[in-house]
Amino acid sequence: MRHPAEGVLRRLLDEPSGVAVVDRRHVADCPQCLDELVTIRQDADVVGAALACDRGEDADVAAGWRRLSAATTGPAGPAPRRAAPRPARRSSGLLRRPAAAACAVAVVLTGAGAAAANDWLPIFGTQQVAPVGITATDLVALPDLSAYGELRLLAEPGIHDVAGAAAAAAETGLDVPEVADLPRGISGDPVLQVGGRTSATFTFSAARAARAAARAGGALPSPPPGLDGTSVRLDAGPGVVQRWTSDAGAPALVVGRAVAPTAFSSGVPFDAVRDYLLSLPGLPDELAEQLRTLSADGSTLPLPVPAEEVTTTSADVGGAPATVVATRDGTLAAVVWVEDGTVTVVAGSVDDSEALSVARGLR
Amino acid sequence: MRGPSPSAVRSDLEEVFRRDYRMVVGAAARVLGSRAEAEDVAQEVFLSFGRTQVPAEQARGWLSVAAAHTALNVLRAGRRRAAQETAAGGPDDVVADVADAVLTREERSRVRDALGRLPRKQAVALVLRHSGLSYGELAAALDMSPGSIGTTVRRAESALREELDRHAPSR
Repeated sequence: MRHPAEGVLRRLLDEPSGVAVVDRRHVADCPQCLDELVTIRQDADVVGAALACDRGEDADVAAGWRRLSAATTGPAGPAPRRAAPRPARRSSGLLRRPAAAACAVAVVLTGAGAAAANDWLPIFGTQQVAPVGITATDLVALPDLSAYGELRLLAEPGIHDVAGAAAAAAETGLDVPEVADLPRGISGDPVLQVGGRTSATFTFSAARAARAAARAGGALPSPPPGLDGTSVRLDAGPGVVQRWTSDAGAPALVVGRAVAPTAFSSGVPFDAVRDYLLSLPGLPDELAEQLRTLSADGSTLPLPVPAEEVTTTSADVGGAPATVVATRDGTLAAVVWVEDGTVTVVAGSVDDSEALSVARGLR
Repeated sequence: MRGPSPSAVRSDLEEVFRRDYRMVVGAAARVLGSRAEAEDVAQEVFLSFGRTQVPAEQARGWLSVAAAHTALNVLRAGRRRAAQETAAGGPDDVVADVADAVLTREERSRVRDALGRLPRKQAVALVLRHSGLSYGELAAALDMSPGSIGTTVRRAESALREELDRHAPSR
């Protein structure tokens, strides 16, 4: 198969959802493309830092308007000092402002566990909705991989409210799912939140990992050749969440959609990195099993659920295989599926049949 | 013809200004590295915009491109006020911590010199991409195909990176 053009690889860094699935899958399995992607990413990071500056977010609009008003209402109105550019021919949507972030432990830890799909869970956390009982606190209970290398968050999601589905679509580039029929007891319009792309890198350090293993009383498994210094770039998002409250005012239903997480390795193939991470001392067996479901192209979704509290079953949503998770007491349920690199979640204080009904009725 | 007379200012100018002023300042600052110069550019851009009949729904894309072009014009015409780059810690020194940590002021100046030497379309696409415009927004604003945006941005980044490496001081 031909390799995707470098422009496609560049877009893959920014907008994976804008890249054809066949290209994403090719890149995930192609060492040559992965090497090129690393170079492209490094160039983008360096240039991004070089161009980093004040983004005008605290510019004094009122003072600026007074100045402009004086110019436009003066006796003759001053002519522009420089030629104006030609206008755009088509409309432009909302701006996104990806930002370097200082810290986001839950996201980093999930990312480092190559489970960046869980980027959704902090979003749920901010909504105080806890489908299947997972919270950000649960996530940080994952092994802190900073003990095994360097973690660096490159971009945070910047979660914020938006006015409606159109605005959410403009910001995220996603088709915002529309619920056909709300479950009984839930009504009204949802509150929408969007988040931009989240990116993190984990660079494996054999020396640091050896020290961590010693502290855990275990021996570090021999790393595969070339793993030391290998970086894994994890990307997730953008995404959109719609949240309904029950008629009683409690959080009741969440419908979320995001670009599924991807993980690209700069050196050793991602599968090898993942499998090695899974072999590190201290990783709970059940989480290890779930992490094994990860792939480099976001085609599968890890769902680290507390097995003792929930049941999981398989279902079909619009032809896509879905996972249905329900608490044993029947109070919470979630349906999660991945299709064409996009993950969709329906979750809330409903039973599994209601969650499935909402999922299958999405337009 | 756009803007038949200086006094014919479009009626929605204030609304668009209040909505997009910070975005325009930000895009210009990314080129110039100076808040004061970026605000000058923003004034110029909105003055021009006020005399156009660009549909309101296209304003943001128009303004983005205008901000980048106008700021690049400032760079290329050599009209930058050097004092603003050398006033360490002064009010015009608005470069964020990230850049401060990575690049020296001299390096930033070199980056912007290199930016000014890029083909115009590459430079505009690069600046607007790093200002947060999506590929779709860029394609619309620059009248390019979405597929070519990645290539254009990539080439611009590669050229800038080479420029940085070529002149990187030994540390």
